[in-house]
Amino acid sequence: MTRYIIRRILWGVLLLIAVTALTFVLFRILPTGDPARLRAGRVASPQVVAAIRHDLGLDKSLFAQFWIYMKEVFLHFNLGFSYYSSAPVRGLIANRLPATLSLVLGASIVWLAVGLPVGIVSALRRRTLSDRVSMGTALVFVSAPEYWLGLIALYLFAADIGKVKVFPGAGSYVGLTSSPWKWFSSLLLPWLVLAAGSAAIYARLMRGSLSETMEEDYIRTARAKGLSERRVVMRHGVRAAINPIVTILALDIATLLGSAVLVETVFDIPGIGRLNYDAITHSDFPIVQGTVLLGALFIVVANILVDIAYAYLDPRVRYS
Amino acid sequence: MISRLRMSASAGLAGVLMLGLAACGSSSTSVSGGSGIKVASGIQTPLTQARSGGKRGGTLTVLDHADFEHLDPGQAYFNLDYELTSATQRPLYSYKPNTFAAPSPDMASEPAQISADGKTITIHIRHGVRFSPPVNREVTSADVAYAIERGKNPNVNNPYFESYFSSLAGAGKATGGPFPGITTPDKYTIVLHLTEPRAQIVLDALVLPLSAPVPKEFASKFDAKKPTEYGNYLVATGPYMLKSDGAGKVLGVGYQQGKSATLVRNPNWNASTDSRPAYLDQINVQIGGDTTVIGRQVLEGSGMVQNDTPAQSIVKLAYEKFRTQLEISPGAGDHYIAVDNKQGPFSNVNVRKALWAALDREAMDKARGGELVTNVMTHFIYPEIPGFEAAGGLKGPQADYNAYPQGNPTLAAKYMKLAGYASGKYTGSKTLQVVGSTGSPSAEDAEIVNQTLKNLGFKTRFNLVDSSVMYSKYCGVPAEAIDVCPSVGWGADFGDPQAVLDVPFNGKNIIPSGNNNWGLVNDPEINKAMDAAESVLGTQARATAWAAIDRKLVAQAAAIPFDWDKQPNIEASNVAGVGDLWDTGEWDYSYTSLK
Amino acid sequence: MSVGAGEILPGAPGGLGFLDMGGEIAARSPLQLFWRRFRRDRVALASLAFIVFLVLVALAAPLIVALLGLPGPSVQNPNLTDQFGSPLGPSLAHPFGVDQLGQDVASRVIYGTRVSLEVGLLGTAVATLIGVVVGVLAGFYRGWVDMLLSRLIDVVLSIPILLLGLGIGAACAVRGCVGGTIQPGLGVIIFLIALANWTYVARIVRGLVLSLREREFVQAARALGASDARIMFGEILPNLVAPVIVYATLLIPLNILLEAALSYLGVGIRPPTASWGQMIAAATPIFNTAWWYMTFPGIALLLTVLAFNLLGDGLQDALNPRTAR
Repeated sequence: MTRYIIRRILWGVLLLIAVTALTFVLFRILPTGDPARLRAGRVASPQVVAAIRHDLGLDKSLFAQFWIYMKEVFLHFNLGFSYYSSAPVRGLIANRLPATLSLVLGASIVWLAVGLPVGIVSALRRRTLSDRVSMGTALVFVSAPEYWLGLIALYLFAADIGKVKVFPGAGSYVGLTSSPWKWFSSLLLPWLVLAAGSAAIYARLMRGSLSETMEEDYIRTARAKGLSERRVVMRHGVRAAINPIVTILALDIATLLGSAVLVETVFDIPGIGRLNYDAITHSDFPIVQGTVLLGALFIVVANILVDIAYAYLDPRVRYS
Repeated sequence: MISRLRMSASAGLAGVLMLGLAACGSSSTSVSGGSGIKVASGIQTPLTQARSGGKRGGTLTVLDHADFEHLDPGQAYFNLDYELTSATQRPLYSYKPNTFAAPSPDMASEPAQISADGKTITIHIRHGVRFSPPVNREVTSADVAYAIERGKNPNVNNPYFESYFSSLAGAGKATGGPFPGITTPDKYTIVLHLTEPRAQIVLDALVLPLSAPVPKEFASKFDAKKPTEYGNYLVATGPYMLKSDGAGKVLGVGYQQGKSATLVRNPNWNASTDSRPAYLDQINVQIGGDTTVIGRQVLEGSGMVQNDTPAQSIVKLAYEKFRTQLEISPGAGDHYIAVDNKQGPFSNVNVRKALWAALDREAMDKARGGELVTNVMTHFIYPEIPGFEAAGGLKGPQADYNAYPQGNPTLAAKYMKLAGYASGKYTGSKTLQVVGSTGSPSAEDAEIVNQTLKNLGFKTRFNLVDSSVMYSKYCGVPAEAIDVCPSVGWGADFGDPQAVLDVPFNGKNIIPSGNNNWGLVNDPEINKAMDAAESVLGTQARATAWAAIDRKLVAQAAAIPFDWDKQPNIEASNVAGVGDLWDTGEWDYSYTSLK
Repeated sequence: MSVGAGEILPGAPGGLGFLDMGGEIAARSPLQLFWRRFRRDRVALASLAFIVFLVLVALAAPLIVALLGLPGPSVQNPNLTDQFGSPLGPSLAHPFGVDQLGQDVASRVIYGTRVSLEVGLLGTAVATLIGVVVGVLAGFYRGWVDMLLSRLIDVVLSIPILLLGLGIGAACAVRGCVGGTIQPGLGVIIFLIALANWTYVARIVRGLVLSLREREFVQAARALGASDARIMFGEILPNLVAPVIVYATLLIPLNILLEAALSYLGVGIRPPTASWGQMIAAATPIFNTAWWYMTFPGIALLLTVLAFNLLGDGLQDALNPRTAR
């Protein structure tokens, strides 16, 4: 077991190195503009540009630059400096991380709280009207782009510009530490919007998983023992059906941490995605690279966690 | 020169009636202010607003969508930054809120003396001006000298030094230390020595924050950092200072990046040395938020202003329901289409004239908000800049291609024929590279230009990128050979026609990167006229000389103009706002008060 | 949900019961069986009909716009904005209102169908093709080929595709990338879709092939001395057609959403070409005053994606009756 875990972690580190290399090469091959010129600003003399080029190490060979970048990233966790603001990328990301974490983790609680019960009820009442309605609604939410849902939600419910003034609008985000209540209320609408699609997916997953479980032999046995239906469902059915969902959850959260950019943009939440988006409008590629790496880190870590969890849950899983 | 760019692509929505269009064309050289630009009745402008103010004291809240770029007076080069530097810093000269043509002595005690050969400028500075804590001592001429010298320090990298101060003796090789072009014969005198007779433009540029004194003993350790950290420890000479801790640190104290800035009174400021009234006790700047939201908060709230561009819908709302809280500032810059004069189809003057004739400039301006915030641009020196009237005023010079603000396809076809395209449409094989700027309204304008080009028979590759990328990567790099840059614009750094025309149209200013002569305009006759006009002294004479150059540019259709901006700014009903004409009407914290 | 939605396909690697299907494939006429089940699903049939309708709209967009008496999608008209430059709302002449340039929103929504379908179908086809080739090679040869390809898939799957897509889209914005092979706009989007999606297809196909290659008919072919290529393309590939089509159908709506998202973020389809995502982006600054501009492209997007999702669902059920609805 321990060997398996170590192997998984080592593979994860290798993966990250590969992704780092890939993004480095990609952003060097692609016509991203001359970093020195971008950093120098609109009105710099050639001497200034040359000086900056030297400072950034851009006058070294591509391979030397790559080696330095990799060394900095993996040994010192240094992601370089923004071309635009000259600030260290690591600090910028650290500043933005709490907002994204708040958004994604809060949304995941919302979608679990909504999706799982709906899925359970649907599974138990398959083919009834309520099942069809909730599964139909779920598909609609899965199909709606979240930034559009966000705009509609703001148009209808934002406290500043909405038709019915309910939730704080775009740009109202404040950090948890500065005011827990404002933090909570400003995130309500983004949570709901971000969770809508996922809640739908989880309802469908739960419904599928529980439907299958309820046909297993041990459920029949439990029923035969005379347990109440409620007990059968909750104790035996849901408990088994939820396992695959929990593992998917980890991956989903990891993926979302890297793709909350759309909701962050609509609601003007200063998170990682928004940082990436702003960086791209300025061709600030060290930040783009940094956020891509962070997103990859989340995915890799989640994958490792899931694999380890699987190995614990299911003793048959022992990859060679 | 060099354009100061509004962060959000500039002016918003709006406007019904603008009476001035026909009203103007009267006399020739109106040199200062009063360009004939009028705005709808009931709306204030920096020219008409009362400057007597309301009560003393109180706190003003400023809601800005955008953050500051630089607090350091050696680096600041952005409208929002200028409001902060003008409240905290005292450059040698500065403009009163209602003028963009005649600077007044600020840190200087009197007008400068220019030698007969136009190569020496002597300036005396005020006695008794003291730096804010923790420096506290009196300002001397050495502090002004250091402020200008550090502009050449690569860690400071002042954005306009090369444009205006390169004629200072020895400036070329300087890297932040003293050079012979600046001497300080005594504690209150500074003398600038020039290698060429460029005194006028150097003097004009002393209104920029670079000339505000910086205490060397305090700042040099920060200036040694890459880039300088002096902005994080900003020392003030003006009536206000950023809140700071005992060591003078403002970052994290009076300025939270992306969040807020707090200006408090500078305890060392002495009202007898300054003409600013400084009514307010404190100014709290809150950064961020959606412009449609903060605009509404300002209009409906109390004690608030917004200092960056309000959203289009907010300008419309202000005009319809809160008209007294809306200020419209003329002379807020221009927008034109830069076309490649050097190579490709637009190297032919008749093709340029065809595009000028074809363009529906009124539609372009309507996309920017209509007549409330725009005037159809007819030549290059813009309203409130000396020479505007002499160059043609609002109506512009006589030229058939300039006579149809809604565009005239027939006339355009005539010019295409003159250019050698017998069908009246472009029939060559070239696909035009068009690079515009994202964001409303520049994106909409770029689309109109793209459609106009197609109507002229061109095939285009149409791209929109962020304006900073547009300049630094495409339109400002001649090697990229972008044919059409539909989203460029220019805001003069000070009220002088050279500041409007020289950099974007003088062939000697074409450089391989960071180029601001986007159309690669390089007409020997125009270059020669500009070189001569640079040494002309006196506002009136300069206005005449540069207006003649403007007319040449129109005759050559060196670029295709479409919009003179009027900038909208908004305030709460209990604020007696005073906007700066020289800074696109932004509210001046040292003059604004609460009612 | 545009991106995290990979999970609508539960347990991506081969978790769909396709393997059980393999047995049926070998035993009976699978496509017939599949079609008979699908025909009974009225929702899926309705979705299919709607998609056919969309395809017709896309093909005949100019005709439809003309029949409805609408101006073309890029016809600018400054008279259709008010004195402040704000666009006018829905009217008889312009049922979905106009945008800031006075362009007709209905006309642009109709033309927008073209981009969505083009991207959805073409992008998915490219991704599927790559995925099938890689999956078959990995599953068939196993050993180091499989190891190498699977690790490559791992790497690609670790990349947050939207963030990377934003970067690539921006970098290739004006002159295109890689010597002009990746053109800005449609080219970049299809490249990104292919990059993001081939891995999912490859994983599924690999799983299927791993199982198929052990079946009797493959063993028999091998015993008869068939070449590797003949076994892969003659024996295994035909059995992959049905599951791959179903899987590809499930990917189409995700890719339509990805295009819209990239266009929304300004690195996808650019004006004057009408794309729903780009229209929503252009509507964002004025969404609280011009509700029609964001609403109609959004509804078009929603309905299109929903139709593909329902169709995919139906196909999946027909292929794999165990997860019956």
